[in-house]
Amino acid sequence: MDYFIYLAQLSGIFIILAVSLNLINGICGQFSLGHAGFWAVGAYTGAAFTVFLDLPVPGFVNLFLSCGVSFIAAALAGLLIGVPCLRLRGDYLAIATLGFGEIIRIVIMNMDSVGGPRGFTDIPKLANIGWVYLWVVIIIVFVSNLLRGSHGRAIISIREDEIAAESMGIYTFKYKTLAFVIGAGFAGVAGTLYAHTQEFISPMGFTFMWSVIILLMIILGGLGSITGSVVGAIILTLLPEFLRFFGQTVSEWRMVIYSLLLISLMLARPGGIFGKHEFNVLKFLGIGKKEEANS
Amino acid sequence: MSSPILKIDSITMRFGGLVAVNRFSMELGSKDLVGVIGPNGAGKTTIFNMVTGHYEPTEGTVYLSGKNINGLRPAFITQSGIARTFQNIRLFKDLTVLDNIRLAAHYTVEYGLLANIFRTKKYHAEEKRVHDEAMELLKIFGLEDKKYHLAKNLPYGQQRRLEIARALATKPKVLLLDEPAAGMNPKETKDLTELIRWVRDKFQIAVLLIEHDMKLVMEVCERIYVVDHGELIAQGAPKDIQSNPKVIEAYLGTSETEETGPTPGEA
Repeated sequence: MDYFIYLAQLSGIFIILAVSLNLINGICGQFSLGHAGFWAVGAYTGAAFTVFLDLPVPGFVNLFLSCGVSFIAAALAGLLIGVPCLRLRGDYLAIATLGFGEIIRIVIMNMDSVGGPRGFTDIPKLANIGWVYLWVVIIIVFVSNLLRGSHGRAIISIREDEIAAESMGIYTFKYKTLAFVIGAGFAGVAGTLYAHTQEFISPMGFTFMWSVIILLMIILGGLGSITGSVVGAIILTLLPEFLRFFGQTVSEWRMVIYSLLLISLMLARPGGIFGKHEFNVLKFLGIGKKEEANS
Repeated sequence: MSSPILKIDSITMRFGGLVAVNRFSMELGSKDLVGVIGPNGAGKTTIFNMVTGHYEPTEGTVYLSGKNINGLRPAFITQSGIARTFQNIRLFKDLTVLDNIRLAAHYTVEYGLLANIFRTKKYHAEEKRVHDEAMELLKIFGLEDKKYHLAKNLPYGQQRRLEIARALATKPKVLLLDEPAAGMNPKETKDLTELIRWVRDKFQIAVLLIEHDMKLVMEVCERIYVVDHGELIAQGAPKDIQSNPKVIEAYLGTSETEETGPTPGEA
């Protein structure tokens, strides 16, 4: 049972990561491969906050504060990286963010105060499934409210056509940076929650591969779709775990099966499970309003 | 002519060794309807790109209402009153017709990011204003029953109309149209001719257009500037331009008479 709760909690953390990356990649259209870097910044900032400061307050207050601190720290890192990088486009941006993500990891690796390559140990286990899903709700409400307003539309317009957006009086650089900073900030929160779930973090846990896996989640779910990111994050967190239960052979070959499943899913639905659309329970059941079918 | 709203003072654009536009000057009164014509590659779109800030002129200055707008980002030039359409339509294809218009009004929105996320009173008031203004504009352009259609699903002629409507939604003083009739059939072109004139009268703005369709240009423009190889070779009323030997040589070919003939060669 504990194992399933742990998996649900882990899924929640990856939902936060996927939705935040979706804001950058899917909604704003800026191809970032440095998300694990912001995740690491958040994890280490949050862990350092609770371990070194050790405020005399109840655990959950401490967790909430450290989430806030790590949001700010990761958002600052996002700003620092975003301002020079967001002048680039497409593949070039991907390479630049990838480089920065690795730089962050190497810097942490060489910081002795947080354990360096040995990792950061003895982090209190403050996060539980409730706090994780509280943040899941916060980020989903945040992003979907954002998209319903003018600022969100401005961010979407950059994905649609940057030149046209600029010609319509939208200062695209500002909104690209905004999306990048908010996305990085929430990745930082996910990092803190992760650190306080695992009780141990090490730089090797935030390699480039994790950026790719988070990217896979949002591509699988459908770039630009929040519900898609949620589903993608859950599938990609649970799939490799559940394949363990199908006997010795499947368990041994599970990473291969996992890859094959991914390939076949992308062949079947090249735009991701939901494409750019949102899954609306009310509409699915036929009780929703027809008109607001556009998001 | 009233005092010029847009003044282009001998702008030059060099790309390396290539002089795309050489010391081009023009003035545009606040309600003028002026055309820029010229063969392909003459530098017309480059002129547009300099006026709208997509390129910064190598030399020369562009003034909007007497203010130097050189080197401003396109977004800020649009905000100060120049809107444009594109030669190959650049709508937000996967967004609805309504969202396309609402985006153009984005810079007028007065609530901040936090108001957006917490959906405050001001947010709702402003969203309503933007929505109503957009709907009004769509009504004028006869697109209101298509407001929830995706822009890419509109017929070509309506996409052009939507692009013009979207440019107008930025509340410009000067509207630049880059080949609005490109790819249109004669019927759509005729409608467009009406539309352009009507837009100018209704919104009381200056319109500057680049066009290959001679019939449209001759019919709609009050003054015409002719560009060839980046240089201004003639300017004046449509009648004078039609009979200008330099223009005929550079642009209209040698044997055809432009009034009855089809659109010249490179359409």
